[in-house]
Amino acid sequence: MAVSIRTDGEAAGLASSSNRSATGASWDQPILLRLVSIALFAGIWEVAGRIPVSFAFPTFSDTVVAFFGLLADGSLATAYLSTLQPLVLGVVLSAFLGVSLGTICGLWRTGEWLVIPVFIVLQAAPVAAFIPMVTFVYGIGMTAKTLAVMILALPVIVLNTYKAVRNVNESLLVMCRSFLGTNWQTVAKIILPDASPVIFAGLRLGVAAGFVGVVLAELLITPTGIGDLITFHRSRADYAEMYATIASIIALSTLTLVFLQWVEVRVFRPESRGA
Amino acid sequence: MASMTRRTILATAFAAALAWSLPLSAANAGDMRIAFGDLPGIESIQTLAAIERAKERGVNVELIVLNDEDLAAQAIVGGQADVGIGAPYTLIQKVGVPIRIFAQISTLRFFPVVNSEFYKEWKDLDGQEVAVQARGSGTEAVMLLMAKNHGIKLGNISYVPGSEVRRNALLQGTIKASIVDAANRRALEAEAPGKFIVLPVEDLGASDEALFATADYLKNNAADVDILVEELMKTAREITANPAVAVELRNKYKLLPDLGAEADSEITEYYKETAEAGSLALNGGGADAAKDDFAFFSLAGQIEGDPASLKVEDFWDVSAIDRAVAKLGKK
Repeated sequence: MAVSIRTDGEAAGLASSSNRSATGASWDQPILLRLVSIALFAGIWEVAGRIPVSFAFPTFSDTVVAFFGLLADGSLATAYLSTLQPLVLGVVLSAFLGVSLGTICGLWRTGEWLVIPVFIVLQAAPVAAFIPMVTFVYGIGMTAKTLAVMILALPVIVLNTYKAVRNVNESLLVMCRSFLGTNWQTVAKIILPDASPVIFAGLRLGVAAGFVGVVLAELLITPTGIGDLITFHRSRADYAEMYATIASIIALSTLTLVFLQWVEVRVFRPESRGA
Repeated sequence: MASMTRRTILATAFAAALAWSLPLSAANAGDMRIAFGDLPGIESIQTLAAIERAKERGVNVELIVLNDEDLAAQAIVGGQADVGIGAPYTLIQKVGVPIRIFAQISTLRFFPVVNSEFYKEWKDLDGQEVAVQARGSGTEAVMLLMAKNHGIKLGNISYVPGSEVRRNALLQGTIKASIVDAANRRALEAEAPGKFIVLPVEDLGASDEALFATADYLKNNAADVDILVEELMKTAREITANPAVAVELRNKYKLLPDLGAEADSEITEYYKETAEAGSLALNGGGADAAKDDFAFFSLAGQIEGDPASLKVEDFWDVSAIDRAVAKLGKK
């Protein structure tokens, strides 16, 4: 957890230190500012919990205690084990399927006409309304939950990839042609690298949507994993545990996105580092 | 000029949104706002009829339908509704807001159903997977209680919310043993005669639905509460004496109009069974009901502490049913 935040901070630090080196020492320490921001948030939460805003709103400290309680008795680990299965499966399938579909549609007009309208509709639709339909067709098991994740994650990945591929810098394409690049070389060496920032942005949005999908599925289809912990603790009026679970899935989703950005910068697009 | 128009449009939209939302927040003044924790179905006829009769006697009732019992309880605590329907023992014990149950409507009736190809009786379920409503729900408690009484240990318990969902899963064969409510048990018997066996359950006596409100509300609105409790008792007694009354009440007050006339036979059947089982509370529950509930819900894990040491007055306010029984006589 700390590792990925720090490395991300370094990556951002590289960018900011060159621009803002004159503004003062504290600004060079984004990690410090982030900690202050988190502490401020926790402080406001604690105060709001102590007023209390609502009978069902626990304090920050109670929530932290509940979080470690859930960690200690293993219920959080068991819950994530079952939540991560449809989530990872759905997100990985959506990533491969979405990037391939988006690339094909960006390159091939007929594919664009056939496929893109469907995804535009899917993206505009209130997707949670599809979930009861999914359960009618695929029942209440893992398939239905994986599909729920994909319904949410796929459109944004496909559409981002498609738009990125379609809007590749024309002069780069001309250059490739003038160097007698083959079709394959055009795609692999010009189009995909040039489109990658937007594709990666789509993937990150897709992963975030996947988290939404899995929580929706677990709340609406059958309560397993995180959805089960949330509904169970709500029905028991253990609000601190409920909030701890909700906070944990938000934290996990944020960390995953930060990690993805780090991977993107370090592994796939090293040229963008510090740019 | 262009930015001027844009600004005007935005301002108009904002003003319209604001104007629209204001009357909504002001339009919640009813004398008694009753929060249903579930979509009303045929099992709600008695309650709905009692509410209609209370209206006739001058109580201005506003019905709020929520899709979750927990939400109903939260609406009571939060002050968005006055009277809730459910059995919020956990909430009463855990949350420091004085809520009291003031009348029992009906007792729990659930039916463990097994696929006859695989199981015939309770001891066949030893170590087998069963599907129940939710973790810590009444259905789970019934299954665990019965397993204990029959000296068996259930295998994996899976959670499938919705009796009708479990009914469909039973029919499709996805699950082989589950527990459903009366309406879905009858549907199973009608749709696949002989395919399922209903396992015997001893009388549970625990509350399925009860009325609850904050202690303050009960104190300040005793007259309205008394009328509602009296009408609830009267309808329960009438239906128990003659189940056909349920359909008459439905027609008289035009209850559940979207179910259509074909629901009448189902309603008759349902209330015949309910009346025979004595599931409608004729005297509004009270201390006896509370004792049964303590035993059942502590087994379900919904209330903490030794059932014998729990105090009725911490969960119940029996004054309204006492007054109603004094007026109507005890049955």
